[in-house]
Amino acid sequence: MKAILKKELKSYFLSPVGYVVMGIFLLCFSVFFYLTVLTSGSVDLGGLYYYTALYGLIIIVPILTMRMFAEERKNGTEQLLLTSPISMFKVVLGKLMAALCVIAITLVISFLFYFIVTFFGEPNLGSVLVAMLGFILISIAALSVGMFASSLTENQIIAGIITVAFLIISLFLTDISSIFTGFTLINFYTSFAQGVISIENVISLVLFAMLFISLTIIVMQRRKMVK
Amino acid sequence: MNKQHGEIIIDGYDMAKKPKKAKKLIGYMPEGVPLYTDLTVKEFVTYMAEIKQVEKKERKEKVEKIIEQTGLKEVEKKLIKNLSRGYKQRVSMAGALVGEPKILILDEPTVGLDPKQITEIRNLIKELGKTHTVILSSHILSEVSQICNKVIIINKGKIVAVDTPENLENKVNNNNNVYVTVEDPENKMEKMQEKIQDIQKIELVQENEDGTKQYAIQAKGEVDLRKTIFAEFAKENITIFEMKKADTTLEDAFMKLIEGGEK
Repeated sequence: MKAILKKELKSYFLSPVGYVVMGIFLLCFSVFFYLTVLTSGSVDLGGLYYYTALYGLIIIVPILTMRMFAEERKNGTEQLLLTSPISMFKVVLGKLMAALCVIAITLVISFLFYFIVTFFGEPNLGSVLVAMLGFILISIAALSVGMFASSLTENQIIAGIITVAFLIISLFLTDISSIFTGFTLINFYTSFAQGVISIENVISLVLFAMLFISLTIIVMQRRKMVK
Repeated sequence: MNKQHGEIIIDGYDMAKKPKKAKKLIGYMPEGVPLYTDLTVKEFVTYMAEIKQVEKKERKEKVEKIIEQTGLKEVEKKLIKNLSRGYKQRVSMAGALVGEPKILILDEPTVGLDPKQITEIRNLIKELGKTHTVILSSHILSEVSQICNKVIIINKGKIVAVDTPENLENKVNNNNNVYVTVEDPENKMEKMQEKIQDIQKIELVQENEDGTKQYAIQAKGEVDLRKTIFAEFAKENITIFEMKKADTTLEDAFMKLIEGGEK
């Protein structure tokens, strides 16, 4: 798994993808920092993370995930993975972790906003950390959807569009019927942004991620049979 | 890697039950050389060693050895995307070799290479054949007869023949044909069939610009006609410019087997 993680991280930062993602991500943070903190004069950073999770992830996640399996399939390097003794679980997890690393690095940089606020007031460090923890969890969930989309096709664009579509549509699904509540990721994040770790939300996000990770593994396993 | 029918057993490990152990024994070089082009040669080979679960202690040393063995030392720090096709092919082979698999499966290893690179890759394969079981899939039959000691011909998913290339060639080669190019000013060739009893048939292949003619002579049964032809033709004042025994290649054997299978 470490090998996959290392290689994936390398390819994120050897190509512009990693930097583009971090750039967009930090831009989102800055814009929402201005809108939620500076204009209202509050020291609460919860809104900053909430809105970044709501809008930022829609752009960032597809960029990170669309190439994961689609590119491998297109180039045929997928065969190298399928014929090597490494288990598909490790491959999938390694790739997910690499994408998560890019997000985590940006989150660490976002501490900058916390320090800026400390000049003007006393923001609650605990609630910022909770917001970040929640951010990691919601990112894992969103990334696993993107990864699943990428495993379905060899066309990166399609994989990206499926992911964006899922993330956007899931925002409105609750308006149609409350049955879809479980698919609107941002609902699970609200409490984190308020500085509360809710066990229910943690479990929901983890289950959601596990569902799509398993689906990805199943799709990739099936690829072996079709061959 | 899964199958539709039957079993895949590699060195005693069933692919369905112990895929990890079985896969460790195989080095596969896919057709079309898929590679991670963003990585350098060394990074790629190291990565392959990692996903093939080569022990960490030995990894560095083994990667070095394989880079050495495949002649990639001078390009090990270059990005794969900047390499020539021949080198890419070697990188792919290095990727297959890492982890010391007992069985190497090479899919069309010389497609798209120039003659020099082809010879190099073939020599490498021959070299590897001494220590590994190499399964080579190829459409270039001259290559197959050069490198392989056992040939399996598969037509539409069915095995048509399993044998050594020599045996396959001999199977088809049941008549001893001789090609001669002669200068025959008195047009005596037609009569030669009556003169030499072992000749089954004489056929004109082509007339050359310099007035010589090429004939294909078919013998009756397994006789080598060349000696008789030489002596008899001289008597009749036919000058032989060139004479050669027609040898059947693996291509002929292939065609015959495939056609035979379809009838």
